[in-house]
Amino acid sequence: MSILKDLFKAIKGGVSEVGESVVDANLIRILEQDIRDDSNAINKAKQSLTQLKGTEIGLKRKIDSLTTDITDYEAKTVEALDAGKEDLAIQVAEKIADLESEKDILFTEHTALAKEVLQLNKMIKTRSSNLEKGKRELEKIKTVEQLQKTTASINKNFASTKSSGNRVADSLARAKKKQQEWKDNQKAGDWMEEEESSSDLDKKLSEEGIGGKKTSANDILERLKNKNKS
Amino acid sequence: MQNNLQELSLILNEMSTDEGTTFEAVFVDDEILEVTCSNNDEFSIHVVMTEKQILTVTPLFSADEVPKEKVNELNSLLLRVSPAVPLSSVGLQDNNYILFGAMSVNTTIENISHELEVQAENTIDVLETISPLLK
Repeated sequence: MSILKDLFKAIKGGVSEVGESVVDANLIRILEQDIRDDSNAINKAKQSLTQLKGTEIGLKRKIDSLTTDITDYEAKTVEALDAGKEDLAIQVAEKIADLESEKDILFTEHTALAKEVLQLNKMIKTRSSNLEKGKRELEKIKTVEQLQKTTASINKNFASTKSSGNRVADSLARAKKKQQEWKDNQKAGDWMEEEESSSDLDKKLSEEGIGGKKTSANDILERLKNKNKS
Repeated sequence: MQNNLQELSLILNEMSTDEGTTFEAVFVDDEILEVTCSNNDEFSIHVVMTEKQILTVTPLFSADEVPKEKVNELNSLLLRVSPAVPLSSVGLQDNNYILFGAMSVNTTIENISHELEVQAENTIDVLETISPLLK
């Protein structure tokens, strides 16, 4: 099942008018019911699986204990035969036959159970995959539904500005202007930073007496004195 | 869901991205958060949520703003532009052309805010490209 084509039914010559009715309430209900059914079925199957597994473990234990008993009685039969007590040996052999038929019955049950467990597992897998698909389909509907909620507020936005002819062009121009201002401000900030760091450098240099050293009145006086001397 | 949107609005109003973008997030409806990004405060973004997705919708213009004879040219241009736009796609919502993005509800706030600021920037790019075809 694909919901998308139901949501946007294409008609000859274009797509049908998409209105409030695009998300069919029935469709959502059916899908939600499917999802609930699938998860209920999965939960039930998991419960049965636990029970079956319990039974399976019990059966296995019984079969094991029967196997031990049979081996035990077999040894005893041999012992009885060795002791020449044939009557007793026959009785034990009959007991073994009983135990073996009981074991056969349990074994058949166990096989049937294992088959059932396999089927349940398969069913859980299919249902889980259905469930995921269903959830994805529902998500498509919910998406369209949520998007549609924005339509009303969008329409209101447009309606209030529709009177001005070049709505988009005007907004775009304002946005671009602000973007440019922002860039200019950033450039100005960069310039300021550079300026500050370079004046820092000049300060440092002059402190160290490197480069543009300011001539003081004393320096001039000294220079003139020297000139007179020579 | 609504709680998550509320949480998102609180965080967005307080934060700023690596690129310096800030956000103003206001509820226009119980389930619609309108986010204005500082890098484009002319075209705000409507944010809604489903169980799985966060949807970001920027209304671009109404179909009524396109001259009839330009509709095909505009649609074809938008279809070609859309794959080139990072993180956002172009679409029609009802009678309105929109730019939209979709994210998983598990997206980190860093990625959500980045997606929003990129969408705000994309809006200017896309509108600049197609505005000669509008009325």
